[in-house]
Amino acid sequence: MRIDPRKLRRSLLCWLALAPLAVVILFPFAVMILTAVKPADEVFVYPAKWLPSHFRWANFSDMWNATRFGVALKNSLVVSLSSTLLAISVSIPAAYAMARFPFRGKGFYRQFLLVTQMLSPILLVIGLFRLAAMIHWGEGNMVDRQASVIVAYAAFNIAFAVWMLSSYFATIPIDLEESAWLEGCGRIRAVFKVFLPLAAPAMVVTAIFTFISGWNEFAVVYTLIRSDANKTLTVQITDLVAGRYTVEWHQVMAATVLATLPVSVMFAWLQRYLVKGLALGAVK
Amino acid sequence: MIRISPGRSLTPWLLIVPSFALALFIIGYPLYNIVFQSLHEVSRFGLIRGFCGLDNFRKVFADPVFIASLVRTLWWTLGVVGGTVLVSVPVALVLNQDFYGRGVARVIVMLPWSVSLTMTAIVWRWAFNDEYGMVNVSLQRLGLIAAPVHWLATASSAFPVEIMVGILVSVPFTVTIFLGGLSSVPVDIYEAARIDGASGWQQFRKLTLPLLRPFINMAIVLNVIYVFNSFPIIWVMTQGGPTNSTHILVTYLYERGFRLGKPGEAAAVSLVMLVMLFCFTAVYLRIQNQQRKEA
Repeated sequence: MRIDPRKLRRSLLCWLALAPLAVVILFPFAVMILTAVKPADEVFVYPAKWLPSHFRWANFSDMWNATRFGVALKNSLVVSLSSTLLAISVSIPAAYAMARFPFRGKGFYRQFLLVTQMLSPILLVIGLFRLAAMIHWGEGNMVDRQASVIVAYAAFNIAFAVWMLSSYFATIPIDLEESAWLEGCGRIRAVFKVFLPLAAPAMVVTAIFTFISGWNEFAVVYTLIRSDANKTLTVQITDLVAGRYTVEWHQVMAATVLATLPVSVMFAWLQRYLVKGLALGAVK
Repeated sequence: MIRISPGRSLTPWLLIVPSFALALFIIGYPLYNIVFQSLHEVSRFGLIRGFCGLDNFRKVFADPVFIASLVRTLWWTLGVVGGTVLVSVPVALVLNQDFYGRGVARVIVMLPWSVSLTMTAIVWRWAFNDEYGMVNVSLQRLGLIAAPVHWLATASSAFPVEIMVGILVSVPFTVTIFLGGLSSVPVDIYEAARIDGASGWQQFRKLTLPLLRPFINMAIVLNVIYVFNSFPIIWVMTQGGPTNSTHILVTYLYERGFRLGKPGEAAAVSLVMLVMLFCFTAVYLRIQNQQRKEA
């Protein structure tokens, strides 16, 4: 590859312009990762240094045992996966209808979804808690049960999922389904045989972003979940910090690294699909 | 689309019903319940003690902390959304250029989006730690401050720090919207402008900005909604403290409802916030319609 000197100059200017923001963005990542591998006696020393004298990987295993990280990790996985499955399985038919059928009430449904986007969980948290307390289930009610968090996440993600899915669905030409009908394939079978395979990438991408939003959510779990056994990562890690006199910051940072990096990598890899999906949806 | 037989008009509704029912139940009932609780005296355990009219609203509006939080929410929203747009427009323009390492630059700018607000707030809280935090360490090393600054323990600095974090986490989403807008701008109009002798600044003022207008509007509306409702940053970094100096309405609401045991008053705060959001949306739609008529 030949290096174009004009482009090189432009690149230098562009990076120079982005540098301040890049520094501020990368700063917390550096703090998080470097603190996570520092020996404790170097974390709490004045004046502190950026670099650790040696990498203390044992911080991770200490943290794992001290904070019951494994339980919270499992809960985060269960809650995010189940809510994604629920949200996607109700959103696919809705998105198909929005992309394929002209029907009365389409505008109304779009507005309804917009309003659900405006009502964030935190605004409704008082009512959500009462709803969970009101529904009797087994011995008690739905407070401190993962099922209530799962259903709530799914409901709050429907608007996003339908928006993303329908904007992708609309780009799949209907002709393919129609030619399947001509060949004697039933309407519903055509959807399963022709449409869904083509729509699979869109569904996977939407599912991953729904998963990430569940993984990162805080207010609903913080309110609905009471016992340590049911807490997810965001709340479990916040509990290590909030209202304590001594915080084991090296362990907290080790926990945030483990809770954050896998999702960040996945996100960095997939962000262009999100950009495309949002842009497609915005045009209409 | 016309080719679909009209006799099947029930099908789309059947397809929509599951998602509609789920969203309506999880969002509709709590909404109803908040209206109900705001008009009743409610014990700390959620027992309804009786109808009390607008007492909860009166109590809330008589609380100076509420009024201060209300005003601070406006500053918070204005500061974060304004700052975000000011940062994001130039960043999007740069990222829209063709330069070496653009892919990496885009990933860096998008990074904060992938981390939960809670984790971001925890890491920043540690970074701003008085004695051991890396912010003070670095600023001292650079000779910018003589002694550690008590960032989060001081009322005058805690809130600006939180606004900074708020801007940082809102930039990726906003840049994404702007990049979408810029990609729809045809390149040849810039060629034409350059031939006509327009300077870079003139091109920006006369071409780019008007074309970005609808996208800037959309970014402002969506960000106002998100930022107005943003809970974890302030809750994790300062919990509204020191001495209530960083409360915004959501943290005030949460403290009332779940820490001070006053669900009725918290429900009243929720409704006040809902009314504010709807007013904002209505005003926005009105302005947009007017602009559309003028255009």
